Amino acid sequence: MPDGTRAADAWRPLPNAATLLAAQVGYQFRLLLATPSALVIGVGLPVVLLVVGNARHGGGGAANVAGYAVFGLTMTAWNTHGVRLVAARELGILRRWRAAPLPPWCYFAGRIIATSLFATLAALVTLLAGVLFDGVSLSAGATLSVLPVLVLGSLAWAAASTVMSSVVPGTGAASPAFLLTYFPVVLVSGVLGPLSGEPHWLTTLASYLPAEPVIDTVGRALRHVPVFSAHDLLVLAAWVIVGLAVASARFRWEPYRPAQHRSARQHHPQERPAGQPG
Amino acid sequence: MSAIAAEHLTKRYGELAAVDDISFEVPAGQFVAVLGPNGAGKTTTLEMLEGFTAPTAGTIRVLGADPRRGGRRWRARIGLVLQSTSLDAELTVAATLGLYGQLYPDPRPVGEVLELVDLAGDAQTRVGVLSGGQRRRVDVAIAVIGRPDVLFLDEPTTGLDPEARRRTWAGITDLTVTGTTVVLTTHYIEEADNLADRVLVLAGGGIIADATPHELRTRGGASSVRFPLPEPRLAASLPAALAAHVSPDGRTLVIRDGDVTAALRELMGWADAHRLDLTGIEVGPPSLEEAYLAAAGGSLALETSSHA
Repeated sequence: MPDGTRAADAWRPLPNAATLLAAQVGYQFRLLLATPSALVIGVGLPVVLLVVGNARHGGGGAANVAGYAVFGLTMTAWNTHGVRLVAARELGILRRWRAAPLPPWCYFAGRIIATSLFATLAALVTLLAGVLFDGVSLSAGATLSVLPVLVLGSLAWAAASTVMSSVVPGTGAASPAFLLTYFPVVLVSGVLGPLSGEPHWLTTLASYLPAEPVIDTVGRALRHVPVFSAHDLLVLAAWVIVGLAVASARFRWEPYRPAQHRSARQHHPQERPAGQPG
Repeated sequence: MSAIAAEHLTKRYGELAAVDDISFEVPAGQFVAVLGPNGAGKTTTLEMLEGFTAPTAGTIRVLGADPRRGGRRWRARIGLVLQSTSLDAELTVAATLGLYGQLYPDPRPVGEVLELVDLAGDAQTRVGVLSGGQRRRVDVAIAVIGRPDVLFLDEPTTGLDPEARRRTWAGITDLTVTGTTVVLTTHYIEEADNLADRVLVLAGGGIIADATPHELRTRGGASSVRFPLPEPRLAASLPAALAAHVSPDGRTLVIRDGDVTAALRELMGWADAHRLDLTGIEVGPPSLEEAYLAAAGGSLALETSSHA
């Protein structure tokens, strides 16, 4: 035994990465299902807004239903994903996973994939609510054709949210930071209702953000016109690729440690600030 | 070869040397307790050994590898309990252990680990509703489920009630019979005394003592007599030779040097004359706490289990 330990046990094969990734996706998905705020924000809120809006103004049509479906999807993939990631980092959960014999990309990918599946399901539930309460119709074929775009949109938002989480220091700042960056994007993209009369530059900008391509695709499916749009798919694919690349480069496992903790320690070495190693 | 070898290990934060040029080796299978006050460098040392923190200078080998470069296979041979509990609250205890267990090539069965940490009755309980002590034992369970060769425990029983602490100790003690190398940081001297083969005392980022608990006690001075006085006013009636050894608060007689037999003879005569029994008297080598304080120059405040 080269280091005086149980070397024979040490060379058993490690579990394969695909199995571990599947387990991570399942685990993260179960965590989301067990998180009430994820269900309320992703499913409850869009459906309530849809039903209440329908009761007040009558059926809002395809654009409204598409907007509310994308509202649930983006709130899940941006806000819920990002805030939970910041909390997990602050609580040391990410650090514990980093120390485990799990390929780091497995945790990273498992979390993003699970969020994307959850966000896609949330959007489908809202679409179903639209069919039930708003009078829109969606064929099985149209649902299948819209699915890849919902998944791609969820991945794009989750990847961007992972990037954002790396610059948010802690849970106290997480919700304001994520909501403040979220609402301008979804408002100019028409998530909370179709826009009219906005300047050309704004509509052009919105077409390159990751919300409008999803709304447009879902809207086309609800209006029974051809769903496929090369522009929308390319925009979303670009967001996914760039988002994942930047997120993997900037992903932080360690909790944020304010610099003032270190200076406090220098002045009072016997008094260790909370969370500071001794 | 040693399971752990650290040479000239240093970690600086600006001008502050959190760990200052320390060297030590830990043979495979040894249980080492690292003691020291807050800011002594215990957790920083442990984080360097675990690979979380890069040393400013010096080298570390854990199971023959640099912890900063240890891959999956290396991590599969390491177990660790972090300073604070870090678990997802939504899963059950059994599901959490099952999830971690599948990362290892030869995990212990979940049921066996639950027995080891005395949580078999809580297998289907959500982690979020467990007490702090129970969550800490889940931490320990995760650390040992992969049958680690080296186990790092960073203050695993801080904040636990005495019963929970003893249960955790029992679980950790069971591990040592399988030859696991354990490095434990703790504030509790009693914990080090109960569990460790060897004690490293850190202060100001350096090692000020490296010995077995017995050796450390021996260094702490000769055998001593300790007797809690039933009433502080009784101190006035003690023979002069004994009265000089009463603590300032008048509550305890502590004789750390001189002829123990003679001191006992005088004490028994005094007790007989005053019709007192000597319940609570202790005769023996210095406690590890006294030895620790002697090693640290008596100037360091360290919690004892009685303060917890």
